[in-house]
Amino acid sequence: MNIPVVNLGAILPAIMLSLFGIAIMVAEPFVSDAKKSWLGWLAIAGTIAAMLALAPMSRQAGQWYTNLWIVDSYSIFFHFLFILIAAITILTSMNFLQREGIHHTEYYALLLFATVGMMMMAGSNELIMVFLGLEILSIATYVLAGFRRTDLKSNESAMKYFLLGSFSSAFFLYGVALIFGATGSTNLIVIADSLRSGDPQTSLVSLAAALMLIGLCFKVAVAPFHVWAPDVYEGAPTPVTGFMSVGPKAAGFAVLLRIFMTAFPTLEDRWTSVFWIVAALTMLIGNVIALVQPNIKRMLAYSSIAHAGYIAVAVAAGSEHGVSAVLFYTLAYSVTNLGAFAVVTMLSRSEDKLVNLNDYAGLASKRPGLAAVLSLFMLSLAGVPGTAGFAGKFFIFKAAVQSGLIWLAVIGVITTVVSFYYYLYVIVQMYMRDPNEEFADVRTTGPLKLALAITIAGTLYLGILPTRFLDWTVSAAVNALR
Amino acid sequence: MVRLLWLIPILPLLGAVINGVFGKRLPKQAVAGIAAGSVAGSFLISLAAFVQMLQLPEAELPVVQNYFTWIQAGRFQAEFGFLLDHLSGLMILIVTGVGLLIHIYSAGYMTHEPGFYRYFAYLNLFMFSMLTLVLANNYLLMFVGWEGVGLCSYLLIGFWFFKKSAADAGKKAFIVNRIGDFGFIIATILIFWTFDSVNFQAVFSRIEDATLFPVETLGTVGVVTTICLLLFIGAAGKSAQIPLYVWLPDAMEGPTPVSALIHAATMVTAGVYMVARSAALFDHAPGALLVVAVIGTFTALFAASIGLVQTDIKRVLAYSTVSQLGYMFMACGVGAYAAGVFHLMTHAFFKALLFLGAGSVIHGMGGLQDIRKMGGLRHHMPWTFRTFLIGALAISGIPGLAGFFSKDAILWAAWNSENYGKLLWTAGIITAGFTSFYTFRLVILTFFGKPQYTEHDVHHVHESPASMLVPLAILAIFSIIAGYVGIPAALGGHNNIEVFLGGEEAAESSAELILMLVSVAVAFGGMGTAYLFYVARPDLPARLASSAHAMYAILVNKYYVDEVYNVAVVKPILRWSREFLWKFVDEGIIDGTVNATGQVVRAAGSGFRHMQTGYVRTYAGWILFGGVLFVVWFLR
Amino acid sequence: MLELALFYIFGTIAVVSAILVITQHNVVHSAIFLAGTLLSVAGIFLALNAEFLAGVQVIVYVGGILVLFVFVIMLIAVERSTFERQFNRQWKIALITSAILIGELVYVVYQGRDTFVLAEPAVPLVQGAAGNSQQVGMGLYTTYLLPFEIASILLLVAIVGAVVLAKKKTQTE
Repeated sequence: MNIPVVNLGAILPAIMLSLFGIAIMVAEPFVSDAKKSWLGWLAIAGTIAAMLALAPMSRQAGQWYTNLWIVDSYSIFFHFLFILIAAITILTSMNFLQREGIHHTEYYALLLFATVGMMMMAGSNELIMVFLGLEILSIATYVLAGFRRTDLKSNESAMKYFLLGSFSSAFFLYGVALIFGATGSTNLIVIADSLRSGDPQTSLVSLAAALMLIGLCFKVAVAPFHVWAPDVYEGAPTPVTGFMSVGPKAAGFAVLLRIFMTAFPTLEDRWTSVFWIVAALTMLIGNVIALVQPNIKRMLAYSSIAHAGYIAVAVAAGSEHGVSAVLFYTLAYSVTNLGAFAVVTMLSRSEDKLVNLNDYAGLASKRPGLAAVLSLFMLSLAGVPGTAGFAGKFFIFKAAVQSGLIWLAVIGVITTVVSFYYYLYVIVQMYMRDPNEEFADVRTTGPLKLALAITIAGTLYLGILPTRFLDWTVSAAVNALR
Repeated sequence: MVRLLWLIPILPLLGAVINGVFGKRLPKQAVAGIAAGSVAGSFLISLAAFVQMLQLPEAELPVVQNYFTWIQAGRFQAEFGFLLDHLSGLMILIVTGVGLLIHIYSAGYMTHEPGFYRYFAYLNLFMFSMLTLVLANNYLLMFVGWEGVGLCSYLLIGFWFFKKSAADAGKKAFIVNRIGDFGFIIATILIFWTFDSVNFQAVFSRIEDATLFPVETLGTVGVVTTICLLLFIGAAGKSAQIPLYVWLPDAMEGPTPVSALIHAATMVTAGVYMVARSAALFDHAPGALLVVAVIGTFTALFAASIGLVQTDIKRVLAYSTVSQLGYMFMACGVGAYAAGVFHLMTHAFFKALLFLGAGSVIHGMGGLQDIRKMGGLRHHMPWTFRTFLIGALAISGIPGLAGFFSKDAILWAAWNSENYGKLLWTAGIITAGFTSFYTFRLVILTFFGKPQYTEHDVHHVHESPASMLVPLAILAIFSIIAGYVGIPAALGGHNNIEVFLGGEEAAESSAELILMLVSVAVAFGGMGTAYLFYVARPDLPARLASSAHAMYAILVNKYYVDEVYNVAVVKPILRWSREFLWKFVDEGIIDGTVNATGQVVRAAGSGFRHMQTGYVRTYAGWILFGGVLFVVWFLR
Repeated sequence: MLELALFYIFGTIAVVSAILVITQHNVVHSAIFLAGTLLSVAGIFLALNAEFLAGVQVIVYVGGILVLFVFVIMLIAVERSTFERQFNRQWKIALITSAILIGELVYVVYQGRDTFVLAEPAVPLVQGAAGNSQQVGMGLYTTYLLPFEIASILLLVAIVGAVVLAKKKTQTE
């Protein structure tokens, strides 16, 4: 009988978030309608508790639960990132939910559970676990996307995401089944050992790897699996869009790298070369179509596809530099994009009014502070020096060049230049056009300000002093490659 | 206390964060308390660090605190570290001391403003940036502070952004400063390229190596001269020297305490500080020094002459500031950096005093700024009057007050300069006369004579509250006593401040005494002329204006510099951007490209756009299609 | 030999039923053929001595999901669905792509027909009274303890999500 060691410390952040998620639902009947925003603060308390739980978790380095669960600086980095994303999303949502008359309780609970799902993806050493995490995340986000139940677009968004998400999950699961058939295990390290020994049939393993990659590429929305993203992002409630554009993407890349780095190093030439094409295609499509979008949510959706393309460049680079660049970029992009979405949330109105780019005309003369903040995020997304976006792109292109992917780096730089046009267009609208809106009812509430403060600080910190986080990502990358 | 150096800028940053995030919810007293409290904390730490530094033996100076490696890229390395020596020690005392007083003053002045918390958040952010600039131990970190103060200045000038003139002034300051910053950043790159480091100590020790970097002779443009000239472009932008001074008078659109803190006492002196800090470089480039001296002197004279005829109380003071900054550069240009910093210090006190006094007047007059419509205010605002008078006497160089000592130090250094020293001195002495004249013109028109306003225009002229008067009083005291740290040898002193800052104690000289008498005479002469023009013979100015009409028109219109810039620089750029960037590049190339892309996409029929039909079946089809390709690729 | 025969019989039923599920006009017929597919998969499980899985397959899919389908079909108008167009214009492209995918799968099997080394099942089959239900139970509570617990979060999310989307609209909405 093989009873596994139950090490709660190793999964403490996930436990914290689950407990708080349940506590929010239990607490709901006891909180009067006027004080529903307290539930949001309870969710924030959950993220803080999870953040604190990272400390005991980091002391449990190693493999746990019969080698299904792995604690190393790679998984801790992603735990940190996911909690951060959840916290900022909650802060951004609090005022939005009030305004839109959305139920707080389940929203926060699902957000926390989705974060648990992402943690399961990043920390697992085992494909079944990955799949469970993937499904927790997916189901929670399907529902979150459809949270504005009276809104047709929101319904459409949830429905499309659900159908296509299930479709791609099937690919992933089929891949898992085949690899289990070929190697007799779903444990990544066992798979890798078995592949190195050369027993399993290569074409079967290749097929399995390809199928898994399809499922994960859908999650991170890279071309040609990105088609769902603009529709889904546009229809979902704005803070959820912000969450979806960074959270599942980061989790997807985390698990993608983990699986392919650990289990399929023997196939490295295949999947890095696939990612070469995927990256180039994604950057081109994302940036070019973003140029002609009149709606800022749709523009940010395409921009998020384009950013997935940049991350894919680092995946294609494959080395330790590439992995650390992926980690750094997901962090930098998450912080910046969540900030941009916080501003868009603040400025939008019910039923997604005021999300067109020309609605932002003259914002600088009415609300100069907000305009300056949004400009900062746009500059960071574009990758202007001194911002997180620049540091991220710099490390990615550096990794690409070091791995000899000169042409991919060149495509990346060219598409970045293209992207300047639509990011700066927002700034031009805000500063150089006459206002046609009063923005009088735009209220900057405490939680939103806190969200902005965190994202601004992050954007500038990562841009100006990237060293500390870079060191962290490098050590995480070394862990992932081991 | 030296260990706590990092707290000096961090405290105001904390204040800025707290006020920026929670300020709207907090009561006004709390906002002001947090803002002023954080600066007070910085001030106390600065004071303690300064005192401790004085007790350290000479060999342990400067105190350097490296916190972490900020940027490491190949050979290039920049530390995030602070450097405390006599120069930066004095600067942090000035910045935090004057800053504290102005925070207290602002609490009274800005009470009725809706953006109260925003104002204090910006002001604290400014303190953080300014202290970073002053304490930085390398050029790159200094540049960060440099950009930070520029940003805060821009935000605060445009504080009343709903006023178009304020928003425009903010933009102007921003753009003009970019030109200067461009010089600075190129200089920093060149410094790294030449000296392999941007750290002050490393650069300054390397330049002392005479075999590598001999002193470049006057008129040669070697690498050191180039670096110094580029640095000076940066300094000229920030410190409002010709030709980049145009933003400072417009910057008076911001709240008055901001004008006092940023545009008189601290930020605009950053250029002087930077030149003084880079003294080791400038000493190797006499050509660059001459440029600094000439530009400084010319600016001093030029701005003072414009100040003669301005009628807006803050604009008079703005031109006066430009002129006094010119003085400081004149001092640096003749190699008397210590005299320049000495004047920087006394100027910080008396010009902040004058600005705050002007703010008090504007406050009492309900926003009126035209001195022709004032008059007789000394009865209504006795304390403002007394303190303002002290400031006026100090800036005019009346013996016994701070300005006298520092101005004398500069003029004496100029006289002794080998390169055109006498000429510089002459320009300086004329400027001194102008200064004395326009200052007393201001005092007389504002505080003496009969009121020129009617009760209809201005209701209830009143003295300002104590929170505004106390800083005035403290600044007045310093405007008197600050000069006594630098009593020249000619008056039996030891010129302690200049020795402290690394200058040499000048020998006693009877020539200095004579020059001093001349400058005192000129100061009194200016004062007397003002009396003659505006008290004894009030018809004279009008007659003079009509008889010398051309000259008067030129002065009133500030030498038409704004107009010239408008025609020569702004309009062509606008035209270029409209005709070329917008019509050709934007509409022609970019829109054309975008449209062409769209057409290609539509024409191809199966390209990007076709992917987005909105049908789930199409999307699923794409996923399947991509999947098939993936599998093919993996099976190859 | 019996195993192989059973596999081919159940496999054929499963595939044919699956095709009929999507080609039938009447949704009730489709549902019945779906039951056929699911049951024959349960049959394959049984042939592999995986009686626990076979039971779960019948209970969950046939007893739960399929019954739910039939309920839903009864609640909507069945007749209307027979007039709807069954395939959209995309069906040819979809068919071709699917055919390629199937071709790829066949290629993999064909290429490895001799050299296929399928790993031994991780959990050894135990015949007899204890059966393989016990094996599955042991696996769930020992080796796969963590995924088992995590699955509870998955179920919770699914329940909460279903409630959110299905509950009555409140006044604020």
